[in-house]
Amino acid sequence: MDIKISEVKLSEEQAGKWGLVIDQDICTGCQACVAACAMENNLSFVGEEDSGYGRSMHWIRIERFWEGEYPEVKMTPNQPMMCQQCGSAPCEPVCPVFATVHSEAEQLNLQVYNRCVGTRYCANNCPYQVRSFNWRDYERPEPLPNQLNPDVTVRRRGVMEKCTFCIQRIHQAQDQAKAEGREVVDGEFTTACAQACPASAIIFGRVDDPESLVSQLGRRSHGVKHLEELGTLPNVTYFKGG
Amino acid sequence: MAEKKNHAEHAHGEEHLRKKHLMLDPLPRGQMNAMVMESMHTTSWKFWAVFGLLAAITAYGLFYSWGVMIAEGLGVAGVNRPAYWGIFLVNTVFWIGISHAGTFISAILRVFKAEFRRPFTRAAELMTTFGLVQAGFSIFMHMGRVWLSYWLMPYPNQRMLWPNLHSPLSWDLLAITTYLLSSTMYLFLPLIPDVAMARDRSTGWRKTFYKILALGFRGTEGEWTHLRNAMNIFAWAIIPVMFSVHTIVSWDFAAATRPGWNSTIFGPYFVVGALHSGMGAVIMVLAIVRGTMKNMKYFIRPEHFEAIGKLMLIISMTWAYFFFNDYMVQWYGGDKWTKQLLHFHEAGPMGWMWFVMLIFNVAIPWAVLWNRKWRSTPWIVFTVGLLINVGMWFERYIIIPISLSINRMPFTWRLYQPGIEIPLGIGTLAFFILLYMAASRLIPLIPVWEVQEGQMAHELKKYGRETVVTVSELE
Amino acid sequence: MTESKIVDLLAVFPDLEPAADAIEHLRSIGVHDGCMNVISGIPVTEAMLGRPSQWTNVPRIALGGALLGFGAGFFLAFVAPYLYPYPIQVSTQSYVPGPPAVVVLFELTMLGMLLSTFLGVFLDSFFPNYRPMKYVPEVSDGKIAILVECPYGDEMKIIDALKKSGAESVRPAEAQHL
Repeated sequence: MDIKISEVKLSEEQAGKWGLVIDQDICTGCQACVAACAMENNLSFVGEEDSGYGRSMHWIRIERFWEGEYPEVKMTPNQPMMCQQCGSAPCEPVCPVFATVHSEAEQLNLQVYNRCVGTRYCANNCPYQVRSFNWRDYERPEPLPNQLNPDVTVRRRGVMEKCTFCIQRIHQAQDQAKAEGREVVDGEFTTACAQACPASAIIFGRVDDPESLVSQLGRRSHGVKHLEELGTLPNVTYFKGG
Repeated sequence: MAEKKNHAEHAHGEEHLRKKHLMLDPLPRGQMNAMVMESMHTTSWKFWAVFGLLAAITAYGLFYSWGVMIAEGLGVAGVNRPAYWGIFLVNTVFWIGISHAGTFISAILRVFKAEFRRPFTRAAELMTTFGLVQAGFSIFMHMGRVWLSYWLMPYPNQRMLWPNLHSPLSWDLLAITTYLLSSTMYLFLPLIPDVAMARDRSTGWRKTFYKILALGFRGTEGEWTHLRNAMNIFAWAIIPVMFSVHTIVSWDFAAATRPGWNSTIFGPYFVVGALHSGMGAVIMVLAIVRGTMKNMKYFIRPEHFEAIGKLMLIISMTWAYFFFNDYMVQWYGGDKWTKQLLHFHEAGPMGWMWFVMLIFNVAIPWAVLWNRKWRSTPWIVFTVGLLINVGMWFERYIIIPISLSINRMPFTWRLYQPGIEIPLGIGTLAFFILLYMAASRLIPLIPVWEVQEGQMAHELKKYGRETVVTVSELE
Repeated sequence: MTESKIVDLLAVFPDLEPAADAIEHLRSIGVHDGCMNVISGIPVTEAMLGRPSQWTNVPRIALGGALLGFGAGFFLAFVAPYLYPYPIQVSTQSYVPGPPAVVVLFELTMLGMLLSTFLGVFLDSFFPNYRPMKYVPEVSDGKIAILVECPYGDEMKIIDALKKSGAESVRPAEAQHL
């Protein structure tokens, strides 16, 4: 019998569109990306108590680990962790109201805030644990409302949220390019975290363009994708110990 | 053979058998009716004291606390990252589990013509309906924006948005709705002749109440035929529905990518776990009903505790079998996260819970229920039932918040500490008992016509020197 | 209409045996099975009383409901996903997921079947019905009542037959509020 593999669309072959490359070797752990992300995306300030109880509201976090027992501890490279924009995201099918879906145009994992009813199933099923829930309506004292980004929705209590790859910037760049009758150029814009990184440890761009910086960097041999064995097809590549 | 024993049994003979079995100890129907009516009418001051206390707990624990949580957000609860699901879902699974016993007793035992079921089918079915009400409360509490929960329902809307049927939660909604509606209907159908009986014997507001509920039932041949047919359809059809409900609840976990959850045996394991806690709850309810309600000692006898105790023992063994099956495969698989999780279950800060679960669910039931005398004693089986329910609640607690504490991102590992879940959980328990207490004084708890039918079908027959019980199939 | 030509009699029997005798007796003196009805407090089967089988629509209504439920499930599982302005992709699953469709079809079929079974009892028995009806409360004490429609002029013969078979009481049936 002739099995035509080409007819079976293997999910592994699905190409992403946007991607990040993160070089853990040059990440200093300065948290500039965390702050920039919070400013860009109107994140709430949850305060010390809630944050300490595992309710921190960050779309990107710097994970720090150490090996060995005190006092012989050895720090391992910092690991920035954000939504991996999976090509086959476990969070999507489990939402009963389609509040998190796959964007076929941008190959991103979307979160529809006003559709979310707060079952939190998506967050449970996210192997990367990068989803943040609005446990309360957090206060935003004056003059903080003045720095809200008008391009990003402010979320209320009971809603799930997560990194969007700064989709508002993607759209802005696309609109600009369209108005000028051209394609989006690689490096024309970037996400808030990549923009803020002083060490350029985070690089953003088109992974479906072989000439882009992310694609070129991604071809280096020691790149890994986290929990790739789960078949989630993440769009973030990590480099460590190069 | 044991001649001595035979001889001893002869000494009591028929008298002994009649005393033991409700089905062999018939009373005139009118007298049984009067006994059931009296049990409904009798309330002591203790009843009202407990009723008032439970009403206060319900008002504070369930409704006030929930109001606070809706206004403040889920931050007042203990859920966090990574334990996004906490006691709310533990209680949901727990109450759905409790609700399985009613269907098991009134449908499976009916289909298999297990005669001992007759006096307590309704008492068990009431648990199903009221348990599902609490499960509904628990699952709605769990939602971040409960005021939008109707978005889960499939209804035509302007934006043409339908629920996502890829999600196990959508299947849950369909299954639990189906189960709640069908178990309520299945509770109501055999109740019609009994409320008609109550209607014929009441006055005042009760007369109006029963008149409305009885729908004008007289007991004509046609009415009985339609009712019998419908009950037969229900008894058969509700069994797969019951299995589907807890299987789908288990898929909420099994379909996820988490270590410890992604197990193919979760379906039957959860169904058996549901029956385990459900039977424990039935026996507790029966012990309380027998102990506190008037005339119930006639209807509910040690033979019934004995029979349910036997079922509990079998179910406990089945639960242990599934538990071990799940454990063995997870342990052998060698996945590092699963290994970590299993270690965390047993030796983590909540390890005591894992051991208590095994002691309450397996060791104690096995140690007690093998003995016929012990399992015929109401207070002993009540205690075993209570411990099983604690053990099964722990089991769900281990599966949900404790297993959620460990995931593939060690940076996020964190323990879960319940907050407002505690008054809310106690509130659902109080509300369950409150509803049950109210129902016990409003509707006949004993299906009198079914008992009479059973008593007609039973008789003693002599085979040689031995007197044995025989049953004829009337249905 | 009925008052002028037909008199309803209600006979109460203490037990199954005399009731069955009475039915036989009535039939022998020419009363049609269709003119009798038995009221009882427990389900007495037709065979026990030697009565013709009762027709019930409940299983048919249940089947109809099951089909309707299946249809609703089919709509939700196979049609609704294409009603969106554009199909919604979740993960790499297809728009119409296979195994979940089985779950939806099963649940809605069962829901349709059980709801219509319940409804079938109401339709077939004319529930709820709060109009006055011919009834004796003794039946819920285990007595068996036979309701006979007898042509005007035959009452004496029928009362006699009922009494002979062991009726505790025979009286003209009057519709009353239950």
